[in-house]
Amino acid sequence: MAENWTLNVAPGAANDPVFVGVGEIRTGKFPDRSFIEALTKVAILALRDAGMVPRDIDTILLIPNLHSAADQADLVFSRMVEELGIHGSCKASYMVHSGGSTSDNAVRAAHGLITAGHAQNVLVLQCERWGSADLNEMITMLSKNGIPGEWELPTGIQFNAIGAMITRRYMHASGSTAEDMASICVTLRKWANLNENAMFYEKPLTVERILASQMVADPLHAFECPPMADGACAFVVTSTENAKKRGIGNAVRLAGSGGCVSHYCLSQEPDQAVLGWPLAAERAWNQSGWGPQDADILEIYDSYAAVTAIALEGIGIAPKGDGARWIAAGNGDPGGKLPLNTNGGLLSAGHTGVGGGTALLVEGIRQLLHRAPSSRQVEDCQRAIIGGTGGSYMDAQILLLERTKLGA
Amino acid sequence: MTTPKIVSEFRAGLASGELLIQNCNACGKPNMWPRYACPHCQSEDLGWVSSAGKGTLHSFCVLRQGAPEGFEADLPYAIGVVKLDEGVQLGVRLEPHGDEDWSAYQCDDRVEFAGKDDGRECAVFRRAQG
Ligand SMILES: [Zn+2]
Repeated sequence: MAENWTLNVAPGAANDPVFVGVGEIRTGKFPDRSFIEALTKVAILALRDAGMVPRDIDTILLIPNLHSAADQADLVFSRMVEELGIHGSCKASYMVHSGGSTSDNAVRAAHGLITAGHAQNVLVLQCERWGSADLNEMITMLSKNGIPGEWELPTGIQFNAIGAMITRRYMHASGSTAEDMASICVTLRKWANLNENAMFYEKPLTVERILASQMVADPLHAFECPPMADGACAFVVTSTENAKKRGIGNAVRLAGSGGCVSHYCLSQEPDQAVLGWPLAAERAWNQSGWGPQDADILEIYDSYAAVTAIALEGIGIAPKGDGARWIAAGNGDPGGKLPLNTNGGLLSAGHTGVGGGTALLVEGIRQLLHRAPSSRQVEDCQRAIIGGTGGSYMDAQILLLERTKLGA
Repeated sequence: MTTPKIVSEFRAGLASGELLIQNCNACGKPNMWPRYACPHCQSEDLGWVSSAGKGTLHSFCVLRQGAPEGFEADLPYAIGVVKLDEGVQLGVRLEPHGDEDWSAYQCDDRVEFAGKDDGRECAVFRRAQG
């Protein structure tokens, strides 16, 4: 039973935080694009989109990378403040980290900072170089993240094994077929084919090709595993008062959020076909007054197809057991009833580590700002459900975002 | 750093063919994985009980490629999550029932503790006999 926590800020109040700009560069394999170069590019893109310059930013929130401890140290020790030329004026620069759900928690952090008056203009920055990193090193690193070294590392578990176990449990519980699961990947690919920044922009995909690809971790085929990618994105959050002063007419606000941390390591999850989504959703509805019927688009973490299908059921978009079939029926496709992961998601735009969830969030903001390219802009997009999860699917995080008109 | 006592004792149990469940001497509840303080009552007075080794298989997978460093030679191998009848759950390796064959396993199968893995500090389970 979820408690009832309201946000301590009224919609449209002077201190109601609003998203006013996003920036992103291409996702894929870009070994010649440096970490700091990518961060600098997306920072400037997001600031331009917001009608701002670096000097306007007082607080930088950093999304971590997983490819390099040295690059992480550069982030933590405020390198981006200097790169953007705001050393001396910037008030604070620090990292938020909860793995794949970091962007959801970064939004909560920015929201709280602005509401309480600790910050005016917040820039959130993300870059990952998984696509250019050594694959074996990354596999080994990911066999230690969200996995207790003394208890479970000895089994030889790693990220695809975790995804495979969740997929198998979900298929068992729901009666979904291998074709149903592969169809989810195809839906994501259709969206990626409309996104020039997606890793697989120009590559179509079929159920037949997925099922003919190598078995990596039964029941997951190679083309059902997330492609590790380089990518970077950014967004800007400010107060309604500041946005109005700047003459911004339309922005995006947070109507509410909900979350549930259901385990640390997967072996301790009570039901791998459910995870934390039902409680997270209940909390989100309680805080916002929304229900699942209120969304125009969904941007739900999709490192594996089952992860998204489970989330759709927990959020109440699809009936229990029908998450995969709901997507397989085309409901989330371009032109479908309720567009799902309109950038192509992690599975087809590319898995940029902690950044995969950030890219989905940025896409949701972009759609609500009506700034997506016309090929994939969802018409009259007013409300979005953002869903994130981190580690070994340790948590379920839901953000409810809505387009808002700022009066003069 | 020396191996924490809860780890060395759990592993010693495995090595002697016993699957140990941490049990709180204060509130009597079982804890898995073993903890430094009881998550139910915060007592540090913690002991062990021997598991009957019976449970159900919540889920599993067969990893065929992309092993972590040091596990390459084990491929392919099956990992599962077992819910023990004692009410706790853990991650394990699954014994093949033929040469590199785990195809008879299904979710919710009855499974039993088969001992410690040959080379690894983890429990091995197999389909329950009879
Ligand atoms: Zn106790």
